[in-house]
Amino acid sequence: MKIDRRLLINFDWVLLVLVLAICGIGLLNLYSTGHSASHLSSKPFFVKQMYWIMIGLCCMIVAASIDYRLIVQYGYVVYFISLILLFFVFIQGHVTHGSQRWLVLWGFTFQPSELMKLTVIIALTKFITENKTDKEYHIRSLLIPFIIVCIPCLFIIDQPDLGTALFLVILFFSIILFIGVSRKALLLFVSSGVVVTPLFWFALEDYQKERIFTFLNPERDPLGSGYHIIQSIIAIGSGGAWGKGFLKGTQSQLKFLPEQQTDFVFSVFAEEWGFLGAITVIFLFLALLLWGVKIARNSRDLAGTIISYGVMMFIFWGFFINIGMVLGTLPVVGIPLPFLSYGGSAMVVLMTGVGLMMNVSMRRFMLQPY
Amino acid sequence: MGQRNKTLVTYDPGEFRRKFNLVIWLMLLAFAFLTGKMWYLQIVKGGELLQRSKDNRIRLQEIRPLRGLILDARGRILVDNQASFDISIIPETAKDVKGVIDRLSSIYDDENIDLARNFTASRKRKPFVPIKLAKNIGRDRLALIETNSLNLPGVMVDVVPVRKYIFGETMAHILGYVGEISIAELAKDVVGDYNAGDVIGKLGIEKTVDRYLKGERGGEQIEVNVSGRKLNVLGRVDAVPGYNIQLTIDADLQKICWDAFQERAGTVITMNPRDGSILSLVNKPSYDPNLFNRGISDDDWRSLLNNPLSPMQNKAISGQYPPGSTYKPFIAAAALEEGVVDPEHKVVCNRVYPVGTRTFRCWSKRGHGSTALHRAITESCDVYFYDIGTKIGVDTLADYARKFGFGIRSGIDLPGERSGLVPTREWKLQRFKETWQTGETVSLTIGQGFVLVTPLQLLRAYCALANGGILYQPQLIKAVKTESDEIVKEFPPVEISRIPVSREHIDILKYALWGAVNEDHGTGRALRRPERDVCGKTGTAQVIKMAQDDEKIKKEDVPYKHRDHALFVCFAPYRDPEIAVVVIVEHGGHGGSAAAPIARKIIDGYFDLKNRGAAVTLPTGQGGPTRREN
Repeated sequence: MKIDRRLLINFDWVLLVLVLAICGIGLLNLYSTGHSASHLSSKPFFVKQMYWIMIGLCCMIVAASIDYRLIVQYGYVVYFISLILLFFVFIQGHVTHGSQRWLVLWGFTFQPSELMKLTVIIALTKFITENKTDKEYHIRSLLIPFIIVCIPCLFIIDQPDLGTALFLVILFFSIILFIGVSRKALLLFVSSGVVVTPLFWFALEDYQKERIFTFLNPERDPLGSGYHIIQSIIAIGSGGAWGKGFLKGTQSQLKFLPEQQTDFVFSVFAEEWGFLGAITVIFLFLALLLWGVKIARNSRDLAGTIISYGVMMFIFWGFFINIGMVLGTLPVVGIPLPFLSYGGSAMVVLMTGVGLMMNVSMRRFMLQPY
Repeated sequence: MGQRNKTLVTYDPGEFRRKFNLVIWLMLLAFAFLTGKMWYLQIVKGGELLQRSKDNRIRLQEIRPLRGLILDARGRILVDNQASFDISIIPETAKDVKGVIDRLSSIYDDENIDLARNFTASRKRKPFVPIKLAKNIGRDRLALIETNSLNLPGVMVDVVPVRKYIFGETMAHILGYVGEISIAELAKDVVGDYNAGDVIGKLGIEKTVDRYLKGERGGEQIEVNVSGRKLNVLGRVDAVPGYNIQLTIDADLQKICWDAFQERAGTVITMNPRDGSILSLVNKPSYDPNLFNRGISDDDWRSLLNNPLSPMQNKAISGQYPPGSTYKPFIAAAALEEGVVDPEHKVVCNRVYPVGTRTFRCWSKRGHGSTALHRAITESCDVYFYDIGTKIGVDTLADYARKFGFGIRSGIDLPGERSGLVPTREWKLQRFKETWQTGETVSLTIGQGFVLVTPLQLLRAYCALANGGILYQPQLIKAVKTESDEIVKEFPPVEISRIPVSREHIDILKYALWGAVNEDHGTGRALRRPERDVCGKTGTAQVIKMAQDDEKIKKEDVPYKHRDHALFVCFAPYRDPEIAVVVIVEHGGHGGSAAAPIARKIIDGYFDLKNRGAAVTLPTGQGGPTRREN
């Protein structure tokens, strides 16, 4: 592939800087969570996360280099590959009778459900660009996108990882509603949701029901499932306006706060850096997302708009659900905080997604009418 | 491809412009909401949640003081503190509580202890507070648990000091035992000296001087991590160990009394008549206070309660016995002092003494013939006392009895003392709604009928005769001392009253008591030592009213519980006595044959000890914690 000079000129530095800034804060924070740990045998989380960021950056460059139109064209292929990976997880889980969310590939643990979040966006983009109508989508025309989302959802629910499955559904609706659906289709979705939800309840594992009860009243079982939320709220609130200081958060350093590197990573940050630090992170995310909107809006074609909008929504919902969760406003569903939570699969997938946004951003001037 | 490119090229992003605005507004709303919640938690509730984070990590830990030791009169340790090991579990650290307890049970391997049942987590329990699973585990089990500690997350071993009663059951009734404070005891503690879970004296000296022994608890403010592991000490107030208590008890003499009594039921007390201090106090049967150390087992407790010989009862102070003939000197004292008789007055004893329709008899089959006071006491003539007693009258006899300390608690520093009973006309009217009968006075004169005394009262009254008329408060505690043996408080002798009996009359009685031991026909001949220095009096107290003519019935044919109590009270040496002994053998038969030989061994042992001096005594702290020497 020959390198067009215009690609370099139009390189989206703002996007890169915003993402790197958030990743930097994440690394700093992960350093803090591992500070008091005595895991001499394994590498600290922040070091491993640094490797993942590097790998992510490589994926980002690759994703930005290949013309996104080509990527969208092979959208179903990419989708099927990740579906197969998900299927392996399904098989593996049923063979070992254990609940597993990851595959071990060449010594790396890999979570196909994370990859699925991005490939669903690409597959939906492909469908939308190939079935462009001037009017709204009708029920029948939405059958394929519905199937695209439903199959991985079933696999993921089976893992069981209700949070990620719901996340896919939310992504689906974010994109479909954005494209525009007929009132009839919308009504059908909403009413079927109302019907399915109670059925869904019976399919839930006990621990999942417990989490929902706990969300409704955390003090119900302060030592069990409510413990996480209570400790998180204590951690965040005790940070106050200015925070307790780097490495000085008692809730996190003394391990009162569970899941510090993953789900509750933001609580660690809010405890040590206070309202000031929390607000800074929130504004960085807001800037990133608004920049994403700008990219989607300035795209010269539908594929670029949908794909960058999808990735933006991916980041937005991850952020909103996770922060809502640690603040005790949403149930604990196990959605990591983008760029801040420790996790290789999520980091690489997110970076790839950012690469796609960058891709669209860089090529916004290239699609001049002939 | 070309076809598709055309559709791409005709793309107009404008159609999404309105939707993008909506998306931006929705996102801003979401961010505003999150920021608002953040503000609420960090700024509005920040202070409160900061306090909660402190509560999480800062814990107040009580430091229990070491309980004071109990020493004997010569400073030998009677009660020591020893380390005991408890195991407890922190459920939050264990995570898989059931699995850990199962593994622990298989290591622990004691079918008597169901660890899973001991695990009771109340809902009110604070997180990371350990739950006790087993108390007082042995050192071998401790070693097993320590070596398996990696497989037993959350299992902790606490070192708890426990009381070691070095002399076991021989001193149980003096020392008592300790236990965890009960709800009732906590309710009584209005000052707030005690906390739930504290150790408190339950019986004996441990109970009566708990305030000295317990010490003052300290506290530590510690920073803990989520596993409850101590990281830092933020502040500390040291515990103050309890004071040591020095008793008047002589461990050697106590041992002599214990051995002399052998396997019978009853009590022995020895006292120094010069100051009322108790030198030894033995009840038989007894119990091992070490059993109570960490909570007694149900089986042990049941066997103690069901023993018909009442091992838990402190018979010396709460046993109430008819004094029998040991009561006679006090009748004589009343008669002399009231001028009813003079010492030369004689009563003819031909064995029978009719009162109204009843006939009372003397114990001697042949009768004592013409008897004056001295021989009436030495040979314990009943008829003499029937005669003079009825002349004095019951109420006057009661006055004198009270002045000798009968019918009221002596005030010894032990719980559970009873007052005995000195009957009067009024008492009988109130109690039975009946008038007093002369025959009852007759019974009273030989210490039968309604009158009841405790062994301690009897001993103290004899001490008053021995020391020339001073009634002392019996004392068990010599001093309260600090760890470094400095005296905090001393307990000088407490003179309660002087007996209203003249010195001359007391000397007559003392001489008669000397005669009872040292003259040829005396009833207490068993005490006749080469030194001829003991004064004493036998007593045989009937438990049930039996026809007095039934000598044909052999002792062995009488059921145990209907047999007579055997009593003996004595003091020595005759001039300026320094030891007084009371021996009561329950259902032991005759005082002279059952109780007196025991008293003899004690008196011999006492003087033997005294002559040998402190040279040969029990080594200090015998049986206490082993000290390794280099």
